[in-house]
Amino acid sequence: MLDLAIASQILWTSFATSSYFVLFALAFALVLKVNKVFNFAQAAIMSVAFYCAYVAVRVLGLNGFFGLIACFAGGIATAIAIEYFGFAKLRTRKASPMFVFIFTLIVSQFVSYVLMLIFGTWPTTIFPTMFWPVSLVGGIAISAWDLPALAAMATVLVLLWAFLRFTRWGQFMIAVADNADLAELYGIKKDRVMLVSMAIAGAICAVGMFLYGTRAQVQPSAATELMLFAVAATIIGGIGNLWGAALAAVVLGLVQNSSILFIPSAWQGFMLYAFLFLAIVLFPRGFHWPERASKLKRKTVTTLPASPSEANGG
Amino acid sequence: MEYIVTIIILVGLFVILAASFDLIIGYCGLISIAHPIFYAIGAYTSAMLAKEAGVPVPLAMLIGAGAALVSSILVALPSLRVSGDYLLIASIGFQLGLIELAKHFHEIGGAGGLTNIPPFLIREVGREAYAVLVVVIAALTVWFVRWMATGPYGRMMSALRDDELAFSMLGRNAIWVKVSVFGIGSAIAGLAGGLYAHYFRFIEPDQFGLLASSAVLTMVVVGGMRTTWGPVVGAIVLQLLPQAITFFGLPPSVLGPLQGIMFTGLVLVFMFMRPQGLVAASDLWRGREGGARHD
Amino acid sequence: MTDVLRIRDLNKSFGGIVVADEVNLDLHAGRVLGLIGPNGAGKTSLFNLVTGVVKPDTGSITLDGQSIDNLPIYQRARLGLARTWQNLRLFPSLSVLDNVMLGPRDYPGERLTSLIFDARGVARRQAEEQDRAHSILKRTGLAGVAQSRVQDIAYGQQKLVGVARALMNDARCLLLDEPMAGVEGQAYGAIQRVVRDIAESGVAVCVVEHNVAFVRDLCDEGVFMFAGKVLARGTVGELIADPRLTELYFGT
Repeated sequence: MLDLAIASQILWTSFATSSYFVLFALAFALVLKVNKVFNFAQAAIMSVAFYCAYVAVRVLGLNGFFGLIACFAGGIATAIAIEYFGFAKLRTRKASPMFVFIFTLIVSQFVSYVLMLIFGTWPTTIFPTMFWPVSLVGGIAISAWDLPALAAMATVLVLLWAFLRFTRWGQFMIAVADNADLAELYGIKKDRVMLVSMAIAGAICAVGMFLYGTRAQVQPSAATELMLFAVAATIIGGIGNLWGAALAAVVLGLVQNSSILFIPSAWQGFMLYAFLFLAIVLFPRGFHWPERASKLKRKTVTTLPASPSEANGG
Repeated sequence: MEYIVTIIILVGLFVILAASFDLIIGYCGLISIAHPIFYAIGAYTSAMLAKEAGVPVPLAMLIGAGAALVSSILVALPSLRVSGDYLLIASIGFQLGLIELAKHFHEIGGAGGLTNIPPFLIREVGREAYAVLVVVIAALTVWFVRWMATGPYGRMMSALRDDELAFSMLGRNAIWVKVSVFGIGSAIAGLAGGLYAHYFRFIEPDQFGLLASSAVLTMVVVGGMRTTWGPVVGAIVLQLLPQAITFFGLPPSVLGPLQGIMFTGLVLVFMFMRPQGLVAASDLWRGREGGARHD
Repeated sequence: MTDVLRIRDLNKSFGGIVVADEVNLDLHAGRVLGLIGPNGAGKTSLFNLVTGVVKPDTGSITLDGQSIDNLPIYQRARLGLARTWQNLRLFPSLSVLDNVMLGPRDYPGERLTSLIFDARGVARRQAEEQDRAHSILKRTGLAGVAQSRVQDIAYGQQKLVGVARALMNDARCLLLDEPMAGVEGQAYGAIQRVVRDIAESGVAVCVVEHNVAFVRDLCDEGVFMFAGKVLARGTVGELIADPRLTELYFGT
């Protein structure tokens, strides 16, 4: 019954659509690694980025290039604002992780209500149409969206990798991710590094939202679900492991999209929550709340040069 | 008159929700915002039992609370065994997942909601009697939370919040305490759900989502965590404010987001301007037998 | 002489760092054993292994003849294992008295079922424990600060609160992690006296301590640890006199 052509078509489409999932997961995992925050406010960053592009293209009538610029501007500005006015203030006040988390959640809700008030709850897209010309390659329909999307994803992956690997700021980010206080002792300005990391996450979200918004309809509350997908991928991929999160996002995207072969499409939305659950039940070791993990270090073996959680590769 | 009675009932229900949520997030320090889903479980269970199985309403409400208790333990136990912080993700997944699920079950009304829920007390005695019932249960909830928080149990929760490892080393089972408190708080929310269902007689999945979560969270944060009166003040203020803006006669497409902005905006303002809330908690725990104490 | 705690062939390493290397150790009722050795020798790690904070790679531990290998921390504590912490780990949101009141290993006032169904029994136990707490506070010289918050009292007194809290457990075996570090004046004598008294009441005590004078005055016996190994056991005087150990201790 399962036609090979249909199967490969679904696989290809799933793979192509996983491009934005990967980007959202990367952004989420990056902020978790460097800023040590479970940043649910990423939904706000994503929504603002989308609506900036929407305003540029659909309201002001600019072309797609300016739409992308607006998307970047919106995403980066929101990310920086959240870090500068929120996280940085909460850090100085030594707010508890719970407090910071509530902050991220409330920000994402706040922004989604503001956007609802402005744009309504009607779903919309960046370009008037979300249908892309299709060409057949070996029996598989490849849309004109697919390849640029995958190329954009690959570019972001390579750029991020190179940035972390070869640039000074990238090295700073890794140092802060390892041990922010120690990095500070070496003269690395923690607050600056965290600002940069949020800005990069904002930019990645912008690329992701531009891809998503040119292919699917968006409404102010849509980003929350997309972000929860990134959360699941991050948990499964392992905290602190950006590439693991990206890979997990691809796998989850494939599973969700190909699920259409086995279950009614109405239930597809439910898959996300099943992922979240399974991630926690099956892959708990991939997941550590960052603040707690560092507390645990101090708790366990104080006389040791290396802490057990580090030694376990956690 | 009916309007005022309805407002009193809503305030009462939110006092129950906020006080029981304060027990979980404030006193026990458990990070979860999924409180409304246990409210929903209580509401749906009670409504379905009364409507389809003809179970007497008070009994149906209690079973609803029981269902909330059991499901909360099922969510909390596996996640808390790994780490306290898992609870948050697990419970959000549970909340949103269950709402998504409910939308696809036509047997419980689907996305359109469950209608014609059997009323309770309203026809026999009157709406005022129902309001009295809700207010009494709200008062009992506030009293119960205070009783737990100021007794030895409250002392234990304070210690657990401060330092879980030292707490365990004193022979206390941290997971059990957390699961118990989570279960109790959720069961109370479930009871409130039953009280909601049999008065308003209509429930729909979307009313138990993230907007409800931020509303309850706001009540506790704005009112003041870990205080007896904070959640009460928070529930009254935040229930009356959105009511106030309904008088402007705005269309629902504006009213909904506006209420959302108000809830979340207030939390943001309070988080930065007055993190302790309207009613500030002392950072030193005091038991109720504290008469002889002096500093 | 009864063995209260018996450690057999205990091994634990984190990555490449060995914190317990074939450790065999017995703690006897009524005796105070001193654990000495340089930083990183695995002394605190041993406490963490015994109390269940860290799981050993191999080896077994018994308390009063009963294996505790598979028990979580809180169950070990309920069997009569109590400890203090190097970095105190007091509860800052509780007063001194309330910190100590959390010490009893089983407290019906913290069980909801007893609270609801046996209110009278709970009240009786509560009064008993309160009396016991007050007498322990008196013994440790903390009676005057019972109502203070723990962060408002002197560091030495904070250490004593940790000891008092552990005493409420009525433990069979008490592990003290650097009780004297940072302590001077009155608290010094108080801690020494209290530990002596506990041991005389039949508790097995083990002390990790860098203050050699304190260890010598207090401990019946000492154990020298280095790199996770127990190198020598004897009177503290003998251990200190051993040039080989002194070299390791102050070594290169």
